[in-house]
Amino acid sequence: MIAPAALLALALLQQPVQGFDHLQHKNLFPSCRTCHAGALQNGVSLWPDARSCATCHDGTIQKTVNWQPPPPRRMNLRFDHVIHATKAKDKAPACVTCHARAGEPRMAVREPVVERCLTCHGIQTAHLAAPDTACATCHVPLVRAATLTRDDIARFPAPPSHATPDFLSRAGHGAASRQTMGNSCATCHAREFCYQCHAGSAPPRAIAWLASDLRATAIGARAAPPSHGANFADRHATEAAASTARCSGCHVRADCLECHRPSAGSRGAGYHPDGFLARHPASAYARQASCSDCHNVGSFCTSCHARAGLTAKGVLRAGYHDARSFFLAGHGQAARQGLESCVSCHAERDCLTCHSALGGRRFDPHGPGFDAAKLRRTAFPMCTVCHGASVPTQ
Amino acid sequence: MKRLVALVALLAAPLAGQGYRLKVDNRVQAISYRGLELDSIAVTDTISGPSGGPTTPDGFAVRCPSGAAYCLYFRPGPVRHGAPLVTTADLSVWGFGVSGLSAHVTARGARDLTGDNAWPGSDPAIQLLTGYAEYNRERITVRLGRDLNYNRLGTIGFDGGSITLRDGRRGLDASLYGGWGLARGAALPVTSPVVNPINDFQPSQRQLLLGVSAGWSGSHGDLRGEYLREVDPHTDYFVSERVGFSGELRPVPRWSLAAGADYDLAAGLWGSAEATLGYATPAVTSAVGVRRYRPHFDLWTIWGAFSPVPYNAIQAQVTVKAMPHVEIRGRGERYRFDDAGVSTPLVEVEQSGWRGELGLTATPRPEWTIDAGYTREFGPGAAVAGTSASITYQPSKLYAITAHGAAMDRPLELRFSESVLHLYGIEGRIQPQPGLALELGAERYAEQRQRPDPAAMDWSQWRVTLRAVFSIGSSDDDLRNLPPATHRMPGGRAQR
Repeated sequence: MIAPAALLALALLQQPVQGFDHLQHKNLFPSCRTCHAGALQNGVSLWPDARSCATCHDGTIQKTVNWQPPPPRRMNLRFDHVIHATKAKDKAPACVTCHARAGEPRMAVREPVVERCLTCHGIQTAHLAAPDTACATCHVPLVRAATLTRDDIARFPAPPSHATPDFLSRAGHGAASRQTMGNSCATCHAREFCYQCHAGSAPPRAIAWLASDLRATAIGARAAPPSHGANFADRHATEAAASTARCSGCHVRADCLECHRPSAGSRGAGYHPDGFLARHPASAYARQASCSDCHNVGSFCTSCHARAGLTAKGVLRAGYHDARSFFLAGHGQAARQGLESCVSCHAERDCLTCHSALGGRRFDPHGPGFDAAKLRRTAFPMCTVCHGASVPTQ
Repeated sequence: MKRLVALVALLAAPLAGQGYRLKVDNRVQAISYRGLELDSIAVTDTISGPSGGPTTPDGFAVRCPSGAAYCLYFRPGPVRHGAPLVTTADLSVWGFGVSGLSAHVTARGARDLTGDNAWPGSDPAIQLLTGYAEYNRERITVRLGRDLNYNRLGTIGFDGGSITLRDGRRGLDASLYGGWGLARGAALPVTSPVVNPINDFQPSQRQLLLGVSAGWSGSHGDLRGEYLREVDPHTDYFVSERVGFSGELRPVPRWSLAAGADYDLAAGLWGSAEATLGYATPAVTSAVGVRRYRPHFDLWTIWGAFSPVPYNAIQAQVTVKAMPHVEIRGRGERYRFDDAGVSTPLVEVEQSGWRGELGLTATPRPEWTIDAGYTREFGPGAAVAGTSASITYQPSKLYAITAHGAAMDRPLELRFSESVLHLYGIEGRIQPQPGLALELGAERYAEQRQRPDPAAMDWSQWRVTLRAVFSIGSSDDDLRNLPPATHRMPGGRAQR
């Protein structure tokens, strides 16, 4: 990962220098340091005193001008003219090395191009393709670039590495951030940038290596994995089942609960696929999913079925299950297999018509796994519904 | 007045840093459907139909209980229309002067604009889904109010409080929660008449609930255990008492093994369980597993005493990126119920079933997505076989339009109701400005029922949906650039 912020910094540097035409003044200023003493000496302004222009531009010799030194530049470069001029000693570049093109006059001043930096510092790639270790050569971390605004940060160009197919994966940006201890990432990013996606409960440790800076969210981290194309919500089940840990890298529980929560169905949100209403009997009978995790069979199923005339009220009557002539007499297996479907139309008293020790036909409803003694201890009131006070002990 | 000024002065500093996020989701739908009406006819008035069975003179097949003077049948009811308007609001507020303190409310209002009460979700008109105050720090989270807890025992709603302690370095956490419980799968107490629309047995008091959860999470796996007990304070007996365990192992990259099970302590029965082996790469995601499903019924009902039997299933699913722009997926499951322990010689009911699905998603161009699928499901009680397809044009994230269609047969085993359904519709989504999303859709259900009598009524209907989602916030976060996960974090994680 490299430091694309340099482009911004250089773009800012390449702003017109307040209209001053260097070339026109080439004979007047034989040395750059005449005006830019600060490039060689600490504590001195990089810019000339605006009043010095009036020496000539007094309205008599020359027309007056209203030149003012430019305001401090918003940038994230760690470049320092004095350091370059003094510490590099005999290797120190002359002003023209960076501020003029080869073969052009000394005063054909231009903003420096980033390739000059790369050349001198031995970086033999295009700027944005420079290795991760190179970023800090010229750039300070975002959190130290205090003058940059959110708009400046939002304009950071993304390096080509960010467009590789697996960059969003653990093997992509995850590995890069671990290898560089987050240093190169920090040129453009801070912790808040990562938290836009790594909102899960256990964000990667590499994020902690970054400092905190709310401006970092100016770069939107919305790029979803390639799998998250249109209609992904309808087909995410396999991916979620295959590796929930991958999901939790970016998603928190609340994302899932947008659809997977009680009564979400009545919002018409997209949990069930199109047309599910028409096929829900099959899914409900066979319990494709645990309907009751999200739907209360009383408030959701029964109330709707009641409006459609599909609830049994009072004495159990034949008529609905008309594809089986003796369904009422032989419904036991269907009931035990699909009891949740039964109770979406039937009330308890329907069944007690026959299945009660207190009256009716006294059919025993208890089947495999029924532990009478245990339920007597834990849920005695339930037993009394059918048995009254004479609840059997076995 | 002086007190008011003093109060404003006291609150000025905290309020200056106050933030909020509000999402309001409005959805109105025009629906129509046709139900059934139970009718009867004297046995003496029935005639013999074409198949030899008794029918009404106008051709409705009837059921005549042995010895009864009347036969029963269902005739088509009137076409009913509804226009439910559902508004759901999510509000998070923070910045009360205490770092980590926030308040959250999710509420829903619903009303059938036709006044016909055709839509079941409009009662009660206002529901508080969640509403709690939260104090959240790195090592502790405390919540007070109405909350929903999600774990392998299901969705646990309650009015009360919870406390969660975390040790992030070791990946450990533990939670304790409790209060007055809500009905399962609803944001309503069990005492609400809405939970019991057919007026059957119902508790007189809400259950008291206590839950404990503890877990460990590491880079190579997770483990979690849950315990939940619900007691009816009126009778002092259990409504439920269960434990659950779940975990996932990730021993090597790309592979995972997830498993879980729950046990009903009150009934002495194993509940549902599953184990899934997953494999995920950018090109292939797949999962194979086994599972067992047993429905759980609270003990304030009598349903648990009817011994619902579980089924055991083996399943597999795979998604393959066959080509750069084509994704193929398939899933299948075969299941079989345990022996129900009943002898029903007069009625034969399937004991096993299967379901499968094949699908394909193609993105020939970035703005076009084509989806097609085939589903087949066969099991006790009902079956479905059908195809579906959709095409989406999404030239930018700001708008999209989707057309979809489906055709399916849906025979019902326990009822003369085999039908053929055709479904087609179109929907559009647009985000005209940040914080506002609009959706408009219309779909047509066209059904033909294949019954041997005049009760072969159709269930055809139009459904028209309009949805508007508003999102506003107080912070300088750019809502356009934040995914939903971050929206839900008051002030962002950094301010925790």
